[in-house]
Amino acid sequence: MSSRIKEMMRVATARLGGEQSPRGGTSQAGRAEASRTARLGGGGGSLRRQPQPQAPTVRTIYCNDREANAPVGYKGNSVSTTKYSVLTFLPKGLFEQFRRVANLYFLMISILSTTPISPVHPVTNVVPLSLVLLVSLIKEAFEDWKRFQNDMSINNAHVDVLQGQKWESAPWKRLQVGDIVRIKQDTYFPSDLLFLSSTNPDGVCYIETANLDGETNLKIRKALEKTWDCVIPEKASEFKGEIQCEQPNNSLYTFTGNLIVDKQTIPISPNQILLRGCSLRNTEYIVAAVIFTGHETKVMMNSMNVPSKRSTLEKKLDKLILALFATLFTMCVIGAIGSGVFINEKYFYLGLRGRVEDQFNPKNRFVVTILTMFTLITLYSTIIPISLYVSIEMIKFIQCAKFINNDLNMYHAESNTPALARTSNLNEELGQVEYIFSDKTGTLTRNLMEFFKCSIGGEIYGTGITEIEKGGAERAGVKIDDDEGKRSATAVHEKGFNFDDARIMRGAWRNEPNPDACVQFCRCLAICHTVLPEGEETPEKITYQAASPDEAALVAAAKNFGFFFYRRTPTTVLVRESHVERMGSIQDVAYEILNVLEFNSTRKRQSVVCRFPNGKLVLYCKGADNVIFERLADGNHDIKKTSREHLEQFGSAGLRTLCLAYRDLSREQYESWNEKFVQAKSSLRDRDKKLDEVAELIEKDLILIGCTAIEDKLQEGVPACIETLSAAGIKIWVLTGDKMETAINIAYACSLVNNDTKQFIITSETDAIRDAEDRGDPVEIARVIKDSVKQSLRSYLEEAHRSLRSTPGRKLAFIIDGRCLMYALDPALRVNLLGLSLICQSVVCCRVSPLQKAQVASLVRKGARKITLSIGDGANDVSMIQAAHVGIGISGQEGMQAVMASDFAIAQFRYLTDLLLVHGRWSYLRLCKVITYFFYKNLTFTLTQFWFTFQTGFSGQRFYDDWFQSLYNVIFTALPVIMVGLFDKDVSASLSKKYPQLYQEGIRNTFFRWKVIAVWGFFAFYQSIVFYYFTAAASQHGHGSSGKILGQWDVSTMAFTCVVVTVNLRLLMSCNSITRWHYFSVAGSIAAWFLFIFIYSAIMTSFDRQENVYFVIYVLMSTFFFYLTLMLAPVIALFGDFLYLSLQRWLFPYDYQVIQEMHKDDPHEYSMIHLPERSHLSPEEARSYAISMLPRENSKHTGFAFDSPGYESFFASQQGVGVPHKPWDVARRASMKQQRQQQHTGRS
Amino acid sequence: MVIPVLAFVGLIFIPIGLACIVSSNKVVEVVYRYDTKCVPGNMLHNKVAYIQNASIDKTCTRTLKIPRDMKRPIYIYYQLDKFYQNHRRYSTSRSDAQLREPKAAGDVAEFCKPEAFAANGRPIVPCGLIAWSLFNDTYSFARRNRLPRDGDHGPPPLTVSKRGISWPSERGHLFGKNVFPRNFQNGSLVGGGQLDPRKPLSEQEDLMVWMRTAALPRFRKLYGRMEADLVAGELITVTVRNSYNSYSYAGGEKAVVLSTAGWLGGRNGFLGRAYVVVGMACFLLALLLTLLCLVFPMKEEHLLLR
Repeated sequence: MSSRIKEMMRVATARLGGEQSPRGGTSQAGRAEASRTARLGGGGGSLRRQPQPQAPTVRTIYCNDREANAPVGYKGNSVSTTKYSVLTFLPKGLFEQFRRVANLYFLMISILSTTPISPVHPVTNVVPLSLVLLVSLIKEAFEDWKRFQNDMSINNAHVDVLQGQKWESAPWKRLQVGDIVRIKQDTYFPSDLLFLSSTNPDGVCYIETANLDGETNLKIRKALEKTWDCVIPEKASEFKGEIQCEQPNNSLYTFTGNLIVDKQTIPISPNQILLRGCSLRNTEYIVAAVIFTGHETKVMMNSMNVPSKRSTLEKKLDKLILALFATLFTMCVIGAIGSGVFINEKYFYLGLRGRVEDQFNPKNRFVVTILTMFTLITLYSTIIPISLYVSIEMIKFIQCAKFINNDLNMYHAESNTPALARTSNLNEELGQVEYIFSDKTGTLTRNLMEFFKCSIGGEIYGTGITEIEKGGAERAGVKIDDDEGKRSATAVHEKGFNFDDARIMRGAWRNEPNPDACVQFCRCLAICHTVLPEGEETPEKITYQAASPDEAALVAAAKNFGFFFYRRTPTTVLVRESHVERMGSIQDVAYEILNVLEFNSTRKRQSVVCRFPNGKLVLYCKGADNVIFERLADGNHDIKKTSREHLEQFGSAGLRTLCLAYRDLSREQYESWNEKFVQAKSSLRDRDKKLDEVAELIEKDLILIGCTAIEDKLQEGVPACIETLSAAGIKIWVLTGDKMETAINIAYACSLVNNDTKQFIITSETDAIRDAEDRGDPVEIARVIKDSVKQSLRSYLEEAHRSLRSTPGRKLAFIIDGRCLMYALDPALRVNLLGLSLICQSVVCCRVSPLQKAQVASLVRKGARKITLSIGDGANDVSMIQAAHVGIGISGQEGMQAVMASDFAIAQFRYLTDLLLVHGRWSYLRLCKVITYFFYKNLTFTLTQFWFTFQTGFSGQRFYDDWFQSLYNVIFTALPVIMVGLFDKDVSASLSKKYPQLYQEGIRNTFFRWKVIAVWGFFAFYQSIVFYYFTAAASQHGHGSSGKILGQWDVSTMAFTCVVVTVNLRLLMSCNSITRWHYFSVAGSIAAWFLFIFIYSAIMTSFDRQENVYFVIYVLMSTFFFYLTLMLAPVIALFGDFLYLSLQRWLFPYDYQVIQEMHKDDPHEYSMIHLPERSHLSPEEARSYAISMLPRENSKHTGFAFDSPGYESFFASQQGVGVPHKPWDVARRASMKQQRQQQHTGRS
Repeated sequence: MVIPVLAFVGLIFIPIGLACIVSSNKVVEVVYRYDTKCVPGNMLHNKVAYIQNASIDKTCTRTLKIPRDMKRPIYIYYQLDKFYQNHRRYSTSRSDAQLREPKAAGDVAEFCKPEAFAANGRPIVPCGLIAWSLFNDTYSFARRNRLPRDGDHGPPPLTVSKRGISWPSERGHLFGKNVFPRNFQNGSLVGGGQLDPRKPLSEQEDLMVWMRTAALPRFRKLYGRMEADLVAGELITVTVRNSYNSYSYAGGEKAVVLSTAGWLGGRNGFLGRAYVVVGMACFLLALLLTLLCLVFPMKEEHLLLR
């Protein structure tokens, strides 16, 4: 159940992504709360009476008093996320459906067909429309039913509610505003609650907000002292507080309200509010009062629908539909004019003398023309493929649910994370991506931060060598021995710590030249953070809960250096310090945390003010190098200089650096500052801005201690994946908030850039800009930067063009930092920026804000009209993910926010290969095939009608029976094309990855161009002529030895049979792989037609209808002519296609056809392996399951290859064309054989 | 794969085509167009007046020469041109319920416009334009070149049987046994033939044939059957009672056709020729492609991906 709740909350939070301000992700806000808690505890002033602003309308809640609350009529706690109710389902669902143009069109046609001007019975259009609507509505209902069940299970979850003096279990939905509830550890809060009391001392509890913002670190909430004693039910039942608070709103991090208890008004802050969706941690249980219920909870008020993305292919499809409308219109105009000309009294048998209805009145030819126009529109309505959209929807849905989500190749066993398609309408977009925007941290790199090196007081510690350094050295030709053997005995490798230097481990730092700096360094690491320790308080067993893995790594480092942070109370940080007084001594020190100046992306630093046990006040600060260096006290240039050098060194080794600094504070200094701080903190307007300003006042004159270097390891398989993707013609841009050096190094490590690459770098770290900065005039700075950006853009663009001409093969890379990017994105410079970045194979943007990430993505999306994909893992990637055509979230490591905003979620960057090159490509191919085929089959069918119109005096007489026409799209030709949409496969998954070049066909959109459509259209034209004239010829002569003559309906039934057979066979011809499903569906469709006509023409209904086709099929089947035509017409019709396809394959093959030819003799590989459930599979299990799922039937390439002898031998002689069998392949086959043998022996 | 398929198709199609051609060639067909020939020369300028003038005797006798032996049965067709039986106003103007059920005789208003009710306001059976415009030229045949013997009065007639010219499904189900023509052709305008009001519709085979509307404006319909053999060079007289109006619109050809029937039906060279042509084309293409394979084997550069 809890997982369901989690799921629900995720859905709700998914919609929060859109609300994020680009600057302040929720992580900052979360931290803000954590730090606020610390301060509140420390200041001890949380109960001070503060005037609270009252919202114009106030909600008054009487705790523990249902009668008093009853008159207000608060909403219950049951939630419903369903779109429809039983009553609204039909009207609302239908309304949704008719917002589609195709459906609306058919509705209008259906209405038209009930009027006398229609040549067809309403059934012709009503049946397909209703079937399509039915399928769509069933799908909607099914989805809504699942949501309903989900809601029910949540609403029926149980929680302890105070009844009298006892806790009684009640379902969530029974909960009412004002109830007192008890929440146990690890359960979810059923509604928004006012925290009253906790089993923990000090009235605190820990909550996890992962469902709200994806952060897994714990946060502290603290109850008002007044209510601490409500833990036991007796006390709680006596609690009669009155809560006055704001009306429900969607702001997650604010709350205004007062608690009036015993005539005392106490303000309530967000710190006492527990939001629905969070869960209780590290606390036995808490007692709380319900304030907002059900849909009025903040998380529910936040849920709104994400605007859904439409794929580019579908937009192009709209154009095709428009073209079809144009064709339809043309056909109707031709027919209508013809009818106006034809109609004449001289055709006495038409009875046109005297009073004739307008439609046929020869005295008013104009009206005849107009009315015939409408007649023909109804007649030719089949040209618009009504079932296309619903078919596409089904295909995509199944592709996602069955293929992408179940692909073992994208299943990450370690984290038990399969790939997840969150939207099903972008599958084929994955096959056309040209630009990938990737976040660095957590996406390309693992975000498993390990403390790797540090610099203390001008001395570097840590002897490890990073992967990047190794790579760099190898490129430079230096051989580096594997470091494993060389590691010293003191090397420690644990979570967050991978450090090797005997000089400072185990107290050895005492002997270093600068032991005081070392102590400061370690204390800073141990105190200045917002980490929560969890578990047993021993260095081995403790785990650290941190908002970012960097923080945990730093605290872990302090632990290893002898400063073991083991407990946090709201006011203090307890550190077990070893070796400080003397070697080997251990003492527990409690540092009182007075203020926390939180981290955010503008400040790029974090400080704490702490009081030592001896009363000394110290401010510890850690932050980005440039921020810290700006705020250092004067003097001590040497250490600054060496530290700068060290920072550069670390940076070029791909390490993430932070600078540490401290400042001693005098009591007076602190007191006067703290006053301002409290003021700022309690201000109601621009609080964040004021806090930042106040922080500036104290974060100055810092003394540099040193800096830390944390290694951020590359994800598994990233370089190989990037290489494959580049080979596929995809350009990869790295957008990161990191420093330029780090970013470039990661680019090297990922083989995005190599030594041959020509780099164009635009940075704000130039002398000219520094000079301007020193002068300090912001306008001047802006002008200087803008000028330099403009100039370098222009010169680089020229240079790039030159280089492109002189050495076309050379790779180009473009690197720009966020500050310059800001100016480069200026409309005036945008063109140059775009021009330059499109020429370059790789682009690296460093120090960019989340907003800039999104700007870059939309620059390429809108400016270059290329298909873009963004991939990221953190809250800062949300805007980028939403800005690109396709957004991909990395699921697993950090929070869920990126995943929630994304369209697809994968566990590892390297799975992009499978997602794009295999699934994306296949989806694209399949969709193109489905759409063009739909176009073809409807055009063919409608054109036969059109040719008939010419020989009926343009009267608009229908050629086919109503039911033929109405079932054509939905029964006789519906299933095979869906099979193709699901199972067609040009080359196997492994070949798709082996030949990434195949992907370029998608980028170029080779399969859905006007040219392709024109070819299909031409053959539709040709085939329709064949069908019409070959069958119409039949009515000229007697048939069979009885000499009897066939009538119109005999001819049309024959034509229809030919159309159904041919159109289905044509599909088989265009399949790349034919499975038994194809045979079943094609044969089934044709059989369905015959079955239908056998029954339909055998019955005579008592309804008022014309018995046109009565016995027709039996009449036809009594003649040889029918069989001969049925054999001849499809062959002649398909002859053209056959010829075209073979010549095309032979003379102008598509890339995939070349690969098919190269590998047509390979044993067929199935790499599409399905997961049985989302259960955890060990690699062995997965493998054995994969083997068991290997299909037994042989699929083949239809292949229009010419297997002449010469052809065969030619391929045989080709060296290196056949795929060498991969070891795993051989192994798999071997084990398959083994299994079969076992099965045999088992049976026998 | 392409080449064998092509060769196979060719292999199958050519024999079928040849069989069709042979069968079609065995069929002997005599077509005699009489729409202008049966109008007296002085009326040619105003054929409509001629055909609408009931007082003129419209019988016309002509002699036909049989080109080849014709074995029984010989089918007689009439052939019309520019007659849009498939026009929407025309082909929907009928009531199948009325044709089948005596009870439904009155349910005519919906479908049978404008020939639903007779002048007296009673429903017409069979109603609608199709029935109203029933073809009513008649033909009779006689051998000409047999010498008249004593007591003979002219050439002996060749009897034309009009039984079994409709499809059994029409006789059995679509046209009712208890439905008799009523108020038929009573209006001021007579569209075509009359029906014997004593015969139920299920026996009015002319009507059935006429009401199985043709797909194209140029069509043939079965008129009757002669159970007689004719020999090559034989002359037969055909007596046409030319009463159907095909003159009010341009191109309204009328013809009478005598034809034998093979297993495939009437003379129809088209199907056989199509089969042969397609078969030949397949063979030719297979040959061409084989040559192509030999002359231009798939080159290495073809295997390079773009």
